[in-house]
Amino acid sequence: MKPYRLAASLSAAFVLTASISTMALGAPVCSAPVKVLAQPRDGLTLLEDSKDEFTKLSGAGFQIDYLNENDRRAKSRADASTVGNYNVYYVDEANVALFASSKWIVPLADYYPADYDYADFDPGRQKVATYDGKVWFAPLTGGGDLMVYRKDVLEAAGIQPPKTLDELIADVPKLTDASKGMYGIALRGARGSGANVWRWMPFFKAYGGKWFDGDKPVFNSDAAVKATETYLKLFKDSAPGTQTGSWDESTGAFLSGQVAILVESTPLSGMAVDPKTSQVVGKIGFLPPPSPLPGGGYGHGLAIAAKANADDASKKCAGLFIAWATSKENEKRRLDAHQFGELNRTSILSSKEFAGIYGADLGQALAETGKATAVNFWQDPRWPDLGDRWGIILEELVTGTRTDIKGGLNELDAYANELVKKK
Amino acid sequence: MARRSSLPVTFVVPTIAILLVLSMVPTLYAIVIALQNRELSSTDYSWVWLSNFQDLLFDRRFLNAVWVSVKWEVVTVVATMVVAIGLGVLMFEVASPRLRNLYCLLFIIPVLLPRVSAAFVWKFAYHPLYGIATYPYRLITGGLIFDPLSKPSTALFAVASVDVWQWGLFFAVIVLKLLETLPPQPIEAARLDHAKRWQIHAYVTLPMLKAPLISLMFVKMIESLRSFDLIYVMTRGGPGVATETLDMYAFSQGFIESGKVSYASAMAVLMMIATVISFTMLWKRVQA
Repeated sequence: MKPYRLAASLSAAFVLTASISTMALGAPVCSAPVKVLAQPRDGLTLLEDSKDEFTKLSGAGFQIDYLNENDRRAKSRADASTVGNYNVYYVDEANVALFASSKWIVPLADYYPADYDYADFDPGRQKVATYDGKVWFAPLTGGGDLMVYRKDVLEAAGIQPPKTLDELIADVPKLTDASKGMYGIALRGARGSGANVWRWMPFFKAYGGKWFDGDKPVFNSDAAVKATETYLKLFKDSAPGTQTGSWDESTGAFLSGQVAILVESTPLSGMAVDPKTSQVVGKIGFLPPPSPLPGGGYGHGLAIAAKANADDASKKCAGLFIAWATSKENEKRRLDAHQFGELNRTSILSSKEFAGIYGADLGQALAETGKATAVNFWQDPRWPDLGDRWGIILEELVTGTRTDIKGGLNELDAYANELVKKK
Repeated sequence: MARRSSLPVTFVVPTIAILLVLSMVPTLYAIVIALQNRELSSTDYSWVWLSNFQDLLFDRRFLNAVWVSVKWEVVTVVATMVVAIGLGVLMFEVASPRLRNLYCLLFIIPVLLPRVSAAFVWKFAYHPLYGIATYPYRLITGGLIFDPLSKPSTALFAVASVDVWQWGLFFAVIVLKLLETLPPQPIEAARLDHAKRWQIHAYVTLPMLKAPLISLMFVKMIESLRSFDLIYVMTRGGPGVATETLDMYAFSQGFIESGKVSYASAMAVLMMIATVISFTMLWKRVQA
């Protein structure tokens, strides 16, 4: 027996020694650079400054290819379903269901190292990153909507910041003075489920709109008609360039001082108080969106691609990159760089440093808007298809190439029925 | 004799074979896909035969895209040829040889710019508030806003102007060089007959250049079919569907919106058939 025991002991010692040696040597997790397809984000640009840190950690670097939102969506969809060139995809609330159900990405939790504390992310963003009971991405940005307004312009017009949708509709035309280059509001006209439809959906929900009545799609309801009428009415006072523009155009118009009131996604508030990006610093106030407009809950983040990471080692490498990119350390760097829109962790959002940089007003407005934030879109793989279809019709209505609201919504409803039948 | 006759075959056959593989394989694959119902989000598919083509006939966006493509083709080809001939003749008549060289250099620069860069430059130039191209309108009207890319009535022409800016100027250089190569005798003879300058060009020089000008027109017609990048950057087919050409719509259906690659392929196949037929007919007509 003794020789066997000795052999077993020696084997165990060998395995232990080998494991310790491997750990001590820091066996590289990655054998090749991680290829990432993303859309431009300040946080990712900042990440590139710390490339060496990731190389030391993983044994390989990373390469991020940037495309604007719509192009990123199209390219990632094409890549994921065909060649699979990228190890990590930038996904968002609108396409995570599609990517997950098509098995183009893999569940993140299995490959996200526990040390990086996923539970620290804002619970709302964790919710958006979850589909079918599984977590699919680590947030890079997210939140809801805030109403940002020009205190000086509203005071000069003798108008109180609107607290209801009716007040907003009444105030916006009064604040427009095209001869002085001032417009009451800025909306999004450009097609897309994440563009014009994104801004339209709060109106739809505010008027009691629902996507389904039981199993039957009701995309042409009275609420949808009223929401569209309101959206088009407000668009008459929307800043030039926004009719075919999206986030960049509407926030750009506000930050350059041409817009009195803007209801937009929360990152705008951080940009508005930053002198590097805003010409209206010190002139703005924050409030939750006028009631009953719900904020559009959203989240963008990084997910592990299925095709390019064929084996477990590649998935671990991609998981490590995502964990590192969204780590507390990197988020702290974003806070230090005043990248408000790139902050997602509760430990950072509730820190003294955050309060010191952005002040109590914004913190309070963010807390209040959180209560009104909701997931407005249809959480289904077919949503991007349907949302984009509505985006085109809505852009046609905004720019006047078609005028029949009900006809447009009927067309959408017919398409929704077709999609539902296909399932 | 046998060695001499086999040499052309040795050179021609591999080349033709490579060309056939390169052109026929994707074409046949596109036709096959067009007869199926493939979607990006699913590996399942079945044969639907002509169903995609049938659906296209009742698709208002497809019918709109056909009409936009025809307008785009006509506007860009006609405007390019008019600008090219107009500027070419003007340079030939007015400019000294040294100035002509300078103009030629300047006029070639736009076409050297990548399409995407040109599209971005002009997109900013057309900005309603800051754009240099809209500045004169703001100046004349006292600050009124003109947003050509957001207006359905002007968007197509605004994008087409960029295409003409690139190709019209380049073709003007070619027209000038063609005019310079013409024998001087017929022109001198016309002058001796007291023909006016425009008459000389209308009845002498341009008819003499008919063949190369038609070739230029065909080159532009083919080039205009490939304006996807320009339109995509400047308007993405908008406002609404005002600038949505067939290739834009096919890409949109295949990769942006619904991932319906078979439906997109059906459009591509129809485009290919329509292009081959129309170009063949035009070619035969001008040859006649």
